[in-house]
Amino acid sequence: MKISEWLKTHPAKALTIAGESSLQDAARLLLDDPEGRDLFVLDADGKVCGHLGFWHVATLLLAELRPTLSLRELIERITLGTVADHMDDQVMCAGVDEDIDDILYQHDLFQQHLERRVEDIPVVDEQHRLLGVVRLTDLLRDAINTDNGTLTDEPEGGRK
Amino acid sequence: MEILLIGLLMIFGLVLGVLGSYLFHLPRVVGYILAGVLFAPDFLGGPLGAEASEWTQSIVAVTLGIIAYLIGGAATVSQLRQLGWMIVSATLGKVSGSFVAVLVGFTLVGTTVADVPAWALALVLAAIATTTAPGAIMAIIHQYRARGPLTTALLAMVALDDALALMIFSLVLAAIESTGFATAIPIVIWEIVAAIGLGMAGGYVLERGARYLPEQELKLVALLGVIILLTGLADAWHFSPLLAAMALGFSTRLFAGAHSESLFRPLEQLQEVVYVLFFTLAGLHFAPAVVLSHAGLIVLYFLLRAGGQIVGAMIGAQLAGAPRVISHNVGLIMLPQGGVAIGMALMLTGVPSLQDSALLIVNIVTATTLLTETFGAVATRFGLSRAGELGAAVKATKKKEST
Repeated sequence: MKISEWLKTHPAKALTIAGESSLQDAARLLLDDPEGRDLFVLDADGKVCGHLGFWHVATLLLAELRPTLSLRELIERITLGTVADHMDDQVMCAGVDEDIDDILYQHDLFQQHLERRVEDIPVVDEQHRLLGVVRLTDLLRDAINTDNGTLTDEPEGGRK
Repeated sequence: MEILLIGLLMIFGLVLGVLGSYLFHLPRVVGYILAGVLFAPDFLGGPLGAEASEWTQSIVAVTLGIIAYLIGGAATVSQLRQLGWMIVSATLGKVSGSFVAVLVGFTLVGTTVADVPAWALALVLAAIATTTAPGAIMAIIHQYRARGPLTTALLAMVALDDALALMIFSLVLAAIESTGFATAIPIVIWEIVAAIGLGMAGGYVLERGARYLPEQELKLVALLGVIILLTGLADAWHFSPLLAAMALGFSTRLFAGAHSESLFRPLEQLQEVVYVLFFTLAGLHFAPAVVLSHAGLIVLYFLLRAGGQIVGAMIGAQLAGAPRVISHNVGLIMLPQGGVAIGMALMLTGVPSLQDSALLIVNIVTATTLLTETFGAVATRFGLSRAGELGAAVKATKKKEST
C-alpha cells in the first residue's frame, strides 16, 4: 500500500509547532492530545524543519526531579530556551509515493526510537510540507490484525 | 597483574562506594578512594605486588580526555549568552580567587620537593584548586529539593568552572615543561593554537562523519577513537591533550546544534566508570607517611582554596551586581572538589619535570577531596539553608496545591 492511501485509511493528527514557541507551549500541545507523542516544527513556509518528542520535552521540564544530570543537562535545565533550541533538525520524512511495507526498513524507526524516541513518521510532499503522519501504533495494530502477520499465527489448538 | 588490579579496584570501589552511601550516607567517592587505599603498596598492594606505575598514565590520559570533551561540550554559545554576565563574572571571581590564594600561599611557604621549585609546586596546586565537583553539589540540591536564584547560579557555575580550570591547568603544565620564560612563550602558544585548531577540526570531522553512523554503538566507537587519537597526537606533537579534547567537545556541540545528544550521551554514561578509576587510582597512590608528614600543607591547601574562592566569588558576583543572597553564599557552597582535580593530579605522575612532587600532590589532592566531599557538603547545605533555598521546591509545590 502506498503511503498516500495509508494516510486516507489511517488518519492521524500531526502535531505542529513554531520554532520560537516555548517548551511549556510544546508540553501543553502534547498533553492536549493523549495520542500525540511527537511535535513537528514548521518554518514560515510550512516546511518541516525539526522534531521534538514528548520524552525530550518531559526530561527538560522535569530536570529538577532527576538525581543526576550531566554538565550539558545542567546548563539545559537553567537555560531551557525555545523549541528551536532543542528540536532535532535532522528529521527523517517519508514521501507519499513510498510503500508502507518499506517504511520501517527505510527509516529504521526502532533505531530512531532508541535515539530520539520517534513514534510518528512525518509524510511530506516535494516541497517538504507536512501532509500527515504514519503512527507506530497504527503500524503495530495493522501488523497483528493482518492474516499473514506473525503475531496472529497461533499454533493449531493454540489459544484463540 | 595490572588487569587484575583494575578489576579489583573497580569491584571494591563499587562495593565500598555503594555501601558507604547506603549505610552511612557518605559520598560514594569516599568509598572509591578507600578501595584504592586498600590496594596501596603500604596495605594489600604490597603482598599482592600491585603498584601504580606507568601503566596508569595511559588510562588517566584517555579518561581525562573523555571528561574534558564532556566539559567542552557542556554549553553552546547561545546558552552562554543566556546565562549572562553575572554567572560569568562570579565564576571568573571564584576561579581566580582560589588560584591566586593557593599560588600566593604556597609560594610564601616555599615548599620544595627534590628539584621541583616552590613556584612550580604552587602553580600546579593553584591550578588544581580551581576545580569543583558538580556531582556532590547536585546530590545536595536534589536531596534537599533546593530551588531559587542561588541554586540556579550555582548549577550554572559548577558546569562552567571546570572548563576554566582545565584551561588554566593546561597553560600551567605548558609553562612548567618549558625551560625558561623566553622559551615558555612560543611553547605555550603552540600548546594552545595546535590544541584548539586540531580539536575544532576534529569536532567538525566527527560531527559530519557521525551523520553516516546511525547506531549509537558506532558513534561511541567514533567518539572514543577521535579522543584517543587526539590524546596520542598531543603526546607526539607536544600540544595540550586537555585543551584539544575540550575544543573537540565544544566544536562537536557547535556543529551538531540541537542534534548533539547522541554525540555526548554515550560518553556521559561512561562518566561514573571514569571517576571510579580516578578515585581508586588516587587511593592507590595513598602513602600514610606522606600524608602525615605533610598534614600542615593539606590543611593549608584546604583553607587557602576555601578562603580564596569565597572571597573571589563574592567580588566577582558583586561586580556584576548579583544580589547579596548569591554573592555571600556561592563561594562557600562550591567547596566540594572531586574527579577533575584527582584526574589532574594523577596526570602529573606522567610529567617528567614534576615526577618527584607528583606523589605529594596526589596525596594532598586526595586528602583534601575527602575533606571537601564531607565538610564541603556541610558547607553547601549551610549556604543553601542560609539563603532560604533548602526545601524551596517542596514549599512551592505545597503552595500550588493550597491555591
